Amino acid sequence: MGLMNHAMEPNKLQKHYWIWPIAWYLFLGGLGGATLFVCGLLDIVFGIEYLLAPGALIAVGCLGIGSLLLIFELGQPKVFIRVFLSATAIIKWGACLLILAMGFGFLYFLFWLPPEWNLFWYGWVWLRDVCAALMALFGLCVVVYTGVLLCTMKSKPFWNTPALPVLFTVSALSTATAGLALASLLWGFPWFVEFWFGADAGSEAFLQAVRHDNELVVEIMHLADTILVVGEVIVLLLYVLLMRASGNVTAKSIALEWISGKKALLFWVGMMGCGLIIPFALYLLGGAAAVFVAPVLVLAAGLLLRFLIVYSDKRRAVPGEERYYARMPKGDERFLQSWKAPY
Amino acid sequence: MTRYAMVMDQRRCIGCQSCTVACRTWNELPMDIIYNPVVTEGVLGEWPNVHRTFTPLICMHCDNPPCTICCPCKASQQDEDGIVWVESEKCMGCKVCVNSCPYGARDVNGHEGFVRKCTFCMDRVREGDQPYCVATCHQKARIFGDLDDPASDVSKLVNSLKTNRIFEELGTDPQVYYIPDLGGVH
Repeated sequence: MGLMNHAMEPNKLQKHYWIWPIAWYLFLGGLGGATLFVCGLLDIVFGIEYLLAPGALIAVGCLGIGSLLLIFELGQPKVFIRVFLSATAIIKWGACLLILAMGFGFLYFLFWLPPEWNLFWYGWVWLRDVCAALMALFGLCVVVYTGVLLCTMKSKPFWNTPALPVLFTVSALSTATAGLALASLLWGFPWFVEFWFGADAGSEAFLQAVRHDNELVVEIMHLADTILVVGEVIVLLLYVLLMRASGNVTAKSIALEWISGKKALLFWVGMMGCGLIIPFALYLLGGAAAVFVAPVLVLAAGLLLRFLIVYSDKRRAVPGEERYYARMPKGDERFLQSWKAPY
Repeated sequence: MTRYAMVMDQRRCIGCQSCTVACRTWNELPMDIIYNPVVTEGVLGEWPNVHRTFTPLICMHCDNPPCTICCPCKASQQDEDGIVWVESEKCMGCKVCVNSCPYGARDVNGHEGFVRKCTFCMDRVREGDQPYCVATCHQKARIFGDLDDPASDVSKLVNSLKTNRIFEELGTDPQVYYIPDLGGVH
C-alpha cells in the first residue's frame, strides 16, 4: 500500500482523501514546470544560456520527485502504469505532460554538460532551441494542469473556480523565479565554475565574466519575482475574499476558516505576511536579505499555499449529513484499525 | 433500453437504518465504509408544528457522472443500464473519483487500496432481483426499477409525483429521485 491516509476518520465530511504527498506534488510540479518555462523563455528570448543549466536540472529533479510522490500516494503504487489507460482523464494528461516536460528538460540539460566532454551533439544548436521551446511549453502546461486538476472538481466548492489555475500559475512562476535566483548563487562558487568548465576555467577573468552574467540573471529574477509577488497578493486576496462573499455555504465556511478561523494564522501571518509582503519588502530593499532570505520565504509560501488549498477540500454536505457523521462513534479507531479486510 | 433508477419515498422512511446494515451484509463492506447512510436534520419546526425528514443516501448513478470521466484507469465506469461501478482489478487508488463525487458516494480505505462504491447490487439486479437495500426496506421507502419501462414502479412514481434530486444544479443528472416529506431535501 502507498502513503494513503490510514487514519480512521469516522466523519467522512472531514476526511482528507488527498494529503501531504499531493500538496508537495502540487508545489514541486508548479515549481519544476514554471522553472522549465522561465529557463526556456530566458534562453530563447534573452539568449541567456549555460547559466540556466543547473536550474533546468533542478526543475527536472523537482518534477521527478513530485511524480514519485504521486505514485507512492496511490492506493496501489505498483500498478501506477494504469494511469495511461484512459484517453480523456485529466490525470492521464497530467502524467503525459509531466513526462514530456521532464524529458525535454533533461534533453536541454544534456547540451550544457561540461564543454570539455566535447559530446557530439553540442553543435546542434537548432535541436537545443527546439528542446528549450518544448520544455517551456510543456513546463507551462504542467503548471496550469496542477490548478486545473483541482478546479474541475464540482464537488469541492473551494476548488471549483477558474481562479484556482490562475492562482497556482502566478504562485508557481513566483516560486520558479525565486528558485532560479537561489540556484544562480551556485555560480558564485569558484569550485562550481571549475566543475562546469574544467580546471583551466578557474582564471580570475573567466570567473568575473561568469559572475557578471550571473548578476544579470539574478537581477532579472528578483525583478520578475517582485512583480509576481504583488500579483499573487492580489490574486490570493481576491480568491479568498470573493469565496467568502459569493461562494456557496461550504465555500464561505472554508473562506471564513482562512480569514478568521483555524487557518487564519497560517494565511495572514505565514502566507500573506512572511510569504509575500516581507519578501516584497526585502526585494525592494535589496542587499543580502533580497539574495538569501526573500527567495526562501517565497518558496516556503508556495508550499504553504498548496497545503492550505489541499486541506480546504470540504465537500458540500447533503442536509443532515453533517449531523449524521458528527454522531459516528468515536474512540473505536483502534478496533477499526486492528480489523483487516480478509481480501 | 434499460435505465435503472431509484425512488426514495421520504414520506415512508422512518430512519431505521436497515438498508445501511443490509448493504454492509450483502456487499461484505469493510468496517469503515458505508454506501448508504440515512441522514436527518433532526426535528424541524416549532411545536406543535414539528416534523422530521429522513434522507436515505446512496450513489446517485448519475446520467452525467463526474466520477467516470476523471478516472485515468477506466476502472470507474458506467454500463449501458446506467449503473456506475468500479472494477477493483483496474483501480490504482488515485482517489480522484472519490474527490470528484459531489455526493460522497465513494470511499477508499488504507487496507484495500481501491475505491469502493454502491453498484445498485448489480450482481442481484442482473439476475432479476432487487438491490439488497430495497429488498430489506420494510417501509417500502426505497423503490427500484427501470425508468425506461412505463410499467415500472419507479417510472410511474417519477412521472406522476413531484420529486426532487440532490444537487441537481451541478449538472450531474442524478438518477435517485426523492418524494419529499414535508420539507424534503433542499
